[in-house]
Amino acid sequence: MAAKDSPLKQFEIDTISEIEISGYNLSFTNSSFAMFITVLVITLFLTLSVNTKSIIPSRWQLISELMYNFIAQLLSDTVGENGKKYFPFVFSLFMFVLVGNMIGMIPYQFTFTSHIIVTFALAAVVFIGVTILGFFNHGLKFFSFFVIPGVPFYMHPLLIPIEVISYLSRPISLSVRLFANMLAGHTLLKVFAGFVVTMPFFTGAFPLAFIVALTGLEVLIAFLQAYVFAILTCLYINDAYHLH
Amino acid sequence: MPQLNPEFFVSQLFWLAIFFTFLFIFLWRISLPRISTVLENRQNKINKNLSSAKELQEKALEIEKKINLQIFKAKEEADILIKETINSLQDEVASQLSELDQDLEKKISNSEKEILKSRDNQMKNIDYEIANLTKLTVSKITNLDLTNSDIDKAIKSSKESLN
Repeated sequence: MAAKDSPLKQFEIDTISEIEISGYNLSFTNSSFAMFITVLVITLFLTLSVNTKSIIPSRWQLISELMYNFIAQLLSDTVGENGKKYFPFVFSLFMFVLVGNMIGMIPYQFTFTSHIIVTFALAAVVFIGVTILGFFNHGLKFFSFFVIPGVPFYMHPLLIPIEVISYLSRPISLSVRLFANMLAGHTLLKVFAGFVVTMPFFTGAFPLAFIVALTGLEVLIAFLQAYVFAILTCLYINDAYHLH
Repeated sequence: MPQLNPEFFVSQLFWLAIFFTFLFIFLWRISLPRISTVLENRQNKINKNLSSAKELQEKALEIEKKINLQIFKAKEEADILIKETINSLQDEVASQLSELDQDLEKKISNSEKEILKSRDNQMKNIDYEIANLTKLTVSKITNLDLTNSDIDKAIKSSKESLN
Protein backbone atom coordinates (compact mmCIF):
# COMPACT_ATOMS: atom_id res chain seq x y z
CA MET A 1 0.00 0.00 0.00
CA ALA A 2 1.38 3.36 -0.96
CA ALA A 3 2.32 5.62 1.95
CA LYS A 4 -0.14 8.36 1.00
CA ASP A 5 -3.06 5.94 1.08
CA SER A 6 -2.10 4.33 4.39
CA PRO A 7 -4.81 4.43 7.10
CA LEU A 8 -2.04 5.45 9.47
CA LYS A 9 -1.20 8.55 7.48
CA GLN A 10 -3.70 10.53 9.54
CA PHE A 11 -1.50 10.08 12.58
CA GLU A 12 1.57 11.62 10.96
CA ILE A 13 2.82 14.78 12.54
CA ASP A 14 3.41 17.78 10.28
CA THR A 15 5.48 20.70 11.38
CA ILE A 16 3.66 24.01 11.19
CA SER A 17 6.48 26.22 12.40
CA GLU A 18 9.93 24.93 13.19
CA ILE A 19 11.34 25.73 16.62
CA GLU A 20 14.61 24.36 17.91
CA ILE A 21 15.96 25.22 21.32
CA SER A 22 19.38 23.90 22.43
CA GLY A 23 19.21 20.97 20.07
CA TYR A 24 15.68 19.90 20.98
CA ASN A 25 12.99 19.92 18.33
CA LEU A 26 10.13 21.91 19.89
CA SER A 27 8.34 22.61 16.62
CA PHE A 28 4.74 23.73 16.68
CA THR A 29 3.00 20.85 14.88
CA ASN A 30 -0.53 19.84 13.91
CA SER A 31 -0.63 17.93 17.22
CA SER A 32 0.23 21.13 19.09
CA PHE A 33 -2.38 22.96 17.05
CA ALA A 34 -5.05 20.39 18.02
CA MET A 35 -4.08 20.84 21.68
CA PHE A 36 -4.30 24.59 21.23
CA ILE A 37 -7.78 24.33 19.68
CA THR A 38 -8.84 21.96 22.47
CA VAL A 39 -7.70 24.33 25.19
CA LEU A 40 -9.27 27.26 23.35
CA VAL A 41 -12.64 25.48 23.01
CA ILE A 42 -12.69 24.41 26.68
CA THR A 43 -11.68 27.77 28.11
CA LEU A 44 -13.98 29.77 25.84
CA PHE A 45 -16.91 27.46 26.39
CA LEU A 46 -16.58 27.31 30.17
CA THR A 47 -16.07 31.05 30.36
CA LEU A 48 -18.71 32.32 27.99
CA SER A 49 -21.42 29.84 28.94
CA VAL A 50 -21.46 30.98 32.58
CA ASN A 51 -20.94 34.64 31.74
CA THR A 52 -24.45 35.65 32.77
CA LYS A 53 -24.21 33.66 36.04
CA SER A 54 -27.98 33.34 35.99
CA ILE A 55 -29.89 31.51 38.68
CA ILE A 56 -31.96 29.83 35.98
CA PRO A 57 -29.30 28.59 33.57
CA SER A 58 -29.29 28.99 29.81
CA ARG A 59 -28.71 25.85 27.75
CA TRP A 60 -24.98 26.52 27.41
CA GLN A 61 -24.64 27.25 31.10
CA LEU A 62 -26.54 24.06 31.85
CA ILE A 63 -24.00 22.02 29.86
CA SER A 64 -21.13 23.54 31.85
CA GLU A 65 -22.95 22.88 35.12
CA LEU A 66 -23.72 19.31 34.08
CA MET A 67 -20.05 18.64 33.32
CA TYR A 68 -19.04 20.25 36.61
CA ASN A 69 -21.54 18.18 38.57
CA PHE A 70 -20.65 15.04 36.61
CA ILE A 71 -17.00 15.14 37.66
CA ALA A 72 -17.80 16.45 41.14
CA GLN A 73 -20.17 13.51 41.64
CA LEU A 74 -17.60 11.09 40.26
CA LEU A 75 -14.97 12.34 42.71
CA SER A 76 -17.26 12.34 45.74
CA ASP A 77 -18.50 8.84 44.87
CA THR A 78 -15.04 7.33 44.52
CA VAL A 79 -12.82 9.37 46.84
CA GLY A 80 -15.28 11.09 49.14
CA GLU A 81 -14.62 14.31 51.04
CA ASN A 82 -10.85 14.15 50.41
CA GLY A 83 -11.41 14.28 46.68
CA LYS A 84 -12.48 17.93 46.51
CA LYS A 85 -8.86 19.10 46.43
CA TYR A 86 -8.21 17.22 43.20
CA PHE A 87 -11.37 18.36 41.44
CA PRO A 88 -9.67 21.00 39.23
CA PHE A 89 -7.06 18.48 38.10
CA VAL A 90 -9.49 15.66 37.37
CA PHE A 91 -11.86 18.08 35.65
CA SER A 92 -9.04 19.47 33.48
CA LEU A 93 -7.92 15.96 32.62
CA PHE A 94 -11.45 14.87 31.71
CA MET A 95 -12.17 17.96 29.61
CA PHE A 96 -8.78 17.82 27.88
CA VAL A 97 -9.17 14.18 26.87
CA LEU A 98 -12.89 14.54 26.03
CA VAL A 99 -12.57 17.61 23.84
CA GLY A 100 -9.34 16.26 22.31
CA ASN A 101 -11.16 13.06 21.36
CA MET A 102 -14.17 14.96 20.06
CA ILE A 103 -12.09 17.33 17.93
CA GLY A 104 -10.42 14.24 16.51
CA MET A 105 -13.85 13.10 15.32
CA ILE A 106 -14.08 16.10 12.97
CA PRO A 107 -12.82 15.00 9.55
CA TYR A 108 -9.27 16.12 8.65
CA GLN A 109 -8.59 17.06 12.26
CA PHE A 110 -5.68 15.62 14.17
CA THR A 111 -6.33 13.44 17.24
CA PHE A 112 -3.54 14.10 19.75
CA THR A 113 -4.90 11.43 22.12
CA SER A 114 -4.02 8.81 19.48
CA HIS A 115 -0.35 9.35 20.27
CA ILE A 116 1.05 7.11 22.99
CA ILE A 117 3.55 9.72 24.10
CA VAL A 118 0.74 12.18 24.91
CA THR A 119 -1.47 9.69 26.75
CA PHE A 120 1.55 8.24 28.52
CA ALA A 121 2.60 11.67 29.69
CA LEU A 122 -0.88 12.31 31.11
CA ALA A 123 -0.96 8.87 32.75
CA ALA A 124 2.55 9.39 34.13
CA VAL A 125 1.49 12.67 35.73
CA VAL A 126 -1.40 10.83 37.38
CA PHE A 127 0.83 7.91 38.43
CA ILE A 128 3.62 10.03 39.86
CA GLY A 129 1.19 12.38 41.54
CA VAL A 130 -0.75 9.54 43.14
CA THR A 131 2.42 7.81 44.32
CA ILE A 132 3.71 11.02 45.91
CA LEU A 133 0.28 11.49 47.47
CA GLY A 134 0.40 7.95 48.87
CA PHE A 135 3.80 8.50 50.48
CA PHE A 136 2.71 11.91 51.73
CA ASN A 137 -0.38 10.47 53.42
CA HIS A 138 1.03 7.22 54.75
CA GLY A 139 4.83 7.54 54.75
CA LEU A 140 6.53 4.19 54.52
CA LYS A 141 3.27 2.49 55.43
CA PHE A 142 2.39 3.08 51.79
CA PHE A 143 4.33 -0.12 50.98
CA SER A 144 1.66 -2.08 52.85
CA PHE A 145 -0.48 -1.31 49.82
CA PHE A 146 1.28 -4.24 48.12
CA VAL A 147 0.47 -6.64 50.97
CA ILE A 148 -3.03 -8.03 50.64
CA PRO A 149 -4.58 -8.49 54.09
CA GLY A 150 -6.05 -11.85 55.03
CA VAL A 151 -3.76 -13.90 52.81
CA PRO A 152 -1.63 -16.76 54.22
CA PHE A 153 1.95 -15.56 54.80
CA TYR A 154 3.50 -18.14 52.46
CA MET A 155 1.54 -16.60 49.56
CA HIS A 156 3.15 -13.20 50.05
CA PRO A 157 6.37 -13.95 48.07
CA LEU A 158 4.11 -14.66 45.11
CA LEU A 159 1.52 -11.95 45.61
CA ILE A 160 3.68 -8.97 46.52
CA PRO A 161 5.58 -8.98 43.20
CA ILE A 162 2.27 -9.33 41.37
CA GLU A 163 0.87 -6.35 43.26
CA VAL A 164 3.98 -4.30 42.56
CA ILE A 165 3.86 -5.14 38.88
CA SER A 166 0.17 -4.34 38.68
CA TYR A 167 0.82 -1.01 40.42
CA LEU A 168 3.69 -0.14 38.10
CA SER A 169 1.69 -1.10 35.03
CA ARG A 170 -1.04 1.38 35.90
CA PRO A 171 0.33 4.24 33.79
CA ILE A 172 0.90 1.84 30.92
CA SER A 173 -2.62 0.41 31.01
CA LEU A 174 -4.11 3.87 31.50
CA SER A 175 -2.25 5.37 28.55
CA VAL A 176 -2.41 2.38 26.21
CA ARG A 177 -6.19 2.05 26.76
CA LEU A 178 -6.85 5.56 25.51
CA PHE A 179 -4.21 5.49 22.79
CA ALA A 180 -5.28 2.10 21.42
CA ASN A 181 -8.95 3.00 21.38
CA MET A 182 -8.33 6.19 19.44
CA LEU A 183 -5.83 4.53 17.10
CA ALA A 184 -8.10 1.57 16.35
CA GLY A 185 -11.22 3.66 15.87
CA HIS A 186 -9.66 6.14 13.51
CA THR A 187 -7.79 3.47 11.58
CA LEU A 188 -10.99 1.47 11.14
CA LEU A 189 -12.82 4.53 9.86
CA LYS A 190 -10.03 5.20 7.37
CA VAL A 191 -9.98 1.57 6.19
CA PHE A 192 -13.71 1.61 5.50
CA ALA A 193 -13.42 5.03 3.89
CA GLY A 194 -10.92 3.44 1.52
CA PHE A 195 -13.49 0.73 0.66
CA VAL A 196 -16.06 3.38 -0.25
CA VAL A 197 -13.74 4.71 -2.91
CA THR A 198 -12.36 1.44 -4.26
CA MET A 199 -15.52 -0.73 -4.38
CA PRO A 200 -17.27 -0.79 -7.76
CA PHE A 201 -20.54 0.96 -8.61
CA PHE A 202 -22.97 1.63 -5.81
CA THR A 203 -21.63 -1.13 -3.50
CA GLY A 204 -19.52 1.57 -1.87
CA ALA A 205 -22.72 2.66 -0.14
CA PHE A 206 -22.47 -0.29 2.26
CA PRO A 207 -19.11 0.68 3.79
CA LEU A 208 -20.36 4.29 3.77
CA ALA A 209 -23.37 3.27 5.87
CA PHE A 210 -21.00 1.37 8.11
CA ILE A 211 -18.85 4.47 8.50
CA VAL A 212 -21.88 6.49 9.57
CA ALA A 213 -22.74 3.91 12.23
CA LEU A 214 -19.10 3.61 13.26
CA THR A 215 -18.81 7.38 13.64
CA GLY A 216 -21.63 7.26 16.17
CA LEU A 217 -19.81 4.49 18.01
CA GLU A 218 -16.56 6.45 17.92
CA VAL A 219 -18.24 9.49 19.46
CA LEU A 220 -19.46 7.23 22.24
CA ILE A 221 -15.97 5.78 22.67
CA ALA A 222 -14.47 9.27 22.68
CA PHE A 223 -16.68 10.16 25.63
CA LEU A 224 -16.26 6.77 27.29
CA GLN A 225 -12.47 6.87 27.20
CA ALA A 226 -12.41 10.34 28.72
CA TYR A 227 -14.75 9.08 31.43
CA VAL A 228 -12.61 5.97 32.02
CA PHE A 229 -9.48 8.10 32.24
CA ALA A 230 -11.15 10.35 34.80
CA ILE A 231 -12.68 7.57 36.90
CA LEU A 232 -9.44 5.57 37.01
CA THR A 233 -7.62 8.71 38.14
CA CYS A 234 -10.24 9.06 40.89
CA LEU A 235 -9.78 5.43 41.92
CA TYR A 236 -5.99 5.82 42.07
CA ILE A 237 -6.40 8.94 44.23
CA ASN A 238 -8.72 6.95 46.46
CA ASP A 239 -6.09 4.19 46.76
CA ALA A 240 -3.56 6.80 47.88
CA TYR A 241 -5.90 7.69 50.75
CA HIS A 242 -7.30 4.30 51.70
CA LEU A 243 -4.65 1.70 51.05
CA HIS A 244 -7.03 -1.23 51.07
CA MET B 1 3.54 3.80 12.73
CA PRO B 2 4.00 7.54 13.28
CA GLN B 3 3.29 7.17 17.00
CA LEU B 4 6.55 5.30 17.53
CA ASN B 5 8.67 7.83 15.71
CA PRO B 6 10.65 9.60 18.44
CA GLU B 7 11.36 12.60 16.23
CA PHE B 8 8.44 14.62 17.63
CA PHE B 9 8.30 13.18 21.18
CA VAL B 10 9.98 16.13 22.78
CA SER B 11 7.88 18.62 20.82
CA GLN B 12 4.65 16.87 21.78
CA LEU B 13 5.62 16.66 25.45
CA PHE B 14 6.68 20.30 25.43
CA TRP B 15 3.44 21.59 23.93
CA LEU B 16 1.34 19.19 25.99
CA ALA B 17 2.98 20.53 29.15
CA ILE B 18 2.37 24.12 28.11
CA PHE B 19 -1.24 23.69 27.01
CA PHE B 20 -2.31 21.34 29.78
CA THR B 21 -0.70 23.49 32.46
CA PHE B 22 -2.41 26.55 31.02
CA LEU B 23 -5.74 24.69 30.88
CA PHE B 24 -5.35 23.41 34.45
CA ILE B 25 -4.50 26.82 35.88
CA PHE B 26 -7.20 28.57 33.87
CA LEU B 27 -9.91 26.12 34.95
CA TRP B 28 -8.66 25.99 38.54
CA ARG B 29 -8.41 29.75 38.97
CA ILE B 30 -11.11 31.16 36.68
CA SER B 31 -13.68 28.77 35.20
CA LEU B 32 -14.42 26.38 38.04
CA PRO B 33 -14.82 29.06 40.76
CA ARG B 34 -17.29 30.84 38.49
CA ILE B 35 -19.37 27.71 37.96
CA SER B 36 -19.23 26.83 41.65
CA THR B 37 -20.39 30.35 42.60
CA VAL B 38 -23.33 29.99 40.25
CA LEU B 39 -24.22 26.63 41.78
CA GLU B 40 -23.75 27.93 45.32
CA ASN B 41 -25.88 31.00 44.63
CA ARG B 42 -28.64 28.80 43.30
CA GLN B 43 -28.41 26.46 46.30
CA ASN B 44 -28.43 29.45 48.66
CA LYS B 45 -31.48 30.90 46.98
CA ILE B 46 -33.29 27.56 47.13
CA ASN B 47 -32.35 27.17 50.81
CA LYS B 48 -33.44 30.73 51.57
CA ASN B 49 -36.78 30.21 49.87
CA LEU B 50 -37.26 26.92 51.68
CA SER B 51 -36.43 28.40 55.07
CA SER B 52 -38.67 31.44 54.52
CA ALA B 53 -41.46 29.09 53.44
CA LYS B 54 -40.93 27.12 56.65
CA GLU B 55 -41.00 30.28 58.73
CA LEU B 56 -44.21 31.41 57.10
CA GLN B 57 -45.71 27.98 57.69
CA GLU B 58 -44.78 28.14 61.36
CA LYS B 59 -46.26 31.63 61.63
CA ALA B 60 -49.44 30.42 59.97
CA LEU B 61 -49.62 27.54 62.45
CA GLU B 62 -49.17 29.94 65.37
CA ILE B 63 -51.90 32.20 64.05
CA GLU B 64 -54.15 29.19 63.61
CA LYS B 65 -53.46 28.18 67.20
CA LYS B 66 -54.29 31.68 68.42
CA ILE B 67 -57.49 31.72 66.42
CA ASN B 68 -58.49 28.33 67.80
CA LEU B 69 -57.74 29.52 71.32
CA GLN B 70 -59.82 32.65 70.82
CA ILE B 71 -62.68 30.63 69.38
CA PHE B 72 -62.48 28.30 72.37
CA LYS B 73 -62.51 31.23 74.82
CA ALA B 74 -65.40 32.87 73.01
CA LYS B 75 -67.35 29.63 73.14
CA GLU B 76 -66.73 29.29 76.86
CA GLU B 77 -67.84 32.90 77.47
CA ALA B 78 -70.91 32.35 75.35
CA ASP B 79 -71.70 29.16 77.31
CA ILE B 80 -71.38 31.03 80.61
CA LEU B 81 -73.58 33.87 79.35
CA ILE B 82 -76.21 31.44 78.09
CA LYS B 83 -76.24 29.60 81.42
CA GLU B 84 -76.48 32.84 83.37
CA THR B 85 -79.30 34.09 81.19
CA ILE B 86 -81.16 30.80 81.51
CA ASN B 87 -80.73 30.85 85.30
CA SER B 88 -81.87 34.46 85.69
CA LEU B 89 -84.84 33.86 83.40
CA GLN B 90 -85.78 30.76 85.35
CA ASP B 91 -85.61 32.73 88.60
CA GLU B 92 -87.74 35.50 87.16
CA VAL B 93 -90.27 33.06 85.80
CA ALA B 94 -90.43 31.27 89.12
CA SER B 95 -90.95 34.48 91.08
CA GLN B 96 -93.57 35.71 88.63
CA LEU B 97 -95.29 32.32 88.82
CA SER B 98 -95.32 32.43 92.61
CA GLU B 99 -96.65 36.01 92.53
CA LEU B 100 -99.32 34.90 90.11
CA ASP B 101 -100.15 31.95 92.37
CA GLN B 102 -100.48 34.21 95.36
CA ASP B 103 -102.68 36.65 93.41
CA LEU B 104 -104.83 33.86 92.18
CA GLU B 105 -105.12 32.36 95.63
CA LYS B 106 -106.11 35.72 97.03
CA LYS B 107 -108.66 36.20 94.29
CA ILE B 108 -109.98 32.67 94.77
CA SER B 109 -110.33 33.10 98.52
CA ASN B 110 -111.97 36.50 98.04
CA SER B 111 -114.43 35.12 95.53
CA GLU B 112 -115.11 32.15 97.79
CA LYS B 113 -115.92 34.53 100.64
CA GLU B 114 -118.13 36.63 98.38
CA ILE B 115 -119.86 33.52 97.10
CA LEU B 116 -120.46 32.34 100.65
CA LYS B 117 -121.74 35.79 101.65
CA SER B 118 -124.11 36.00 98.71
CA ARG B 119 -125.29 32.46 99.35
CA ASP B 120 -126.04 33.32 102.97
CA ASN B 121 -127.91 36.41 101.86
CA GLN B 122 -129.79 34.41 99.30
CA MET B 123 -130.63 31.78 101.89
CA LYS B 124 -132.04 34.50 104.26
CA ASN B 125 -134.01 36.05 101.43
CA ILE B 126 -135.29 32.61 100.39
CA ASP B 127 -136.88 32.10 103.79
CA TYR B 128 -138.50 35.53 103.61
CA GLU B 129 -139.67 35.02 100.00
CA ILE B 130 -141.01 31.60 100.82
CA ALA B 131 -142.97 33.06 103.75
CA ASN B 132 -144.35 35.85 101.58
CA LEU B 133 -145.23 33.48 98.77
CA THR B 134 -146.87 31.06 101.15
CA LYS B 135 -148.89 33.84 102.81
CA LEU B 136 -150.01 35.16 99.45
CA THR B 137 -150.82 31.72 98.06
CA VAL B 138 -152.71 30.65 101.13
CA SER B 139 -154.63 33.91 101.36
CA LYS B 140 -155.61 33.72 97.70
CA ILE B 141 -156.61 30.10 97.83
CA THR B 142 -158.26 29.93 101.22
CA ASN B 143 -158.90 33.54 102.13
CA LEU B 144 -157.32 32.87 105.48
CA ASP B 145 -155.18 35.49 107.04
CA LEU B 146 -152.19 33.65 108.41
CA THR B 147 -149.84 35.17 110.86
CA ASN B 148 -146.17 35.30 110.17
CA SER B 149 -145.39 33.00 113.07
CA ASP B 150 -147.69 30.29 111.70
CA ILE B 151 -146.06 30.40 108.38
CA ASP B 152 -142.61 30.27 109.92
CA LYS B 153 -143.66 27.18 111.87
CA ALA B 154 -144.98 25.47 108.82
CA ILE B 155 -141.83 26.25 106.81
CA LYS B 156 -139.65 24.97 109.61
CA SER B 157 -141.56 21.74 109.86
CA SER B 158 -141.52 21.20 106.11
CA LYS B 159 -137.79 21.98 106.02
CA GLU B 160 -137.24 19.43 108.75
CA SER B 161 -139.26 16.84 106.87
CA LEU B 162 -137.26 17.64 103.76
CA ASN B 163 -134.04 17.28 105.58
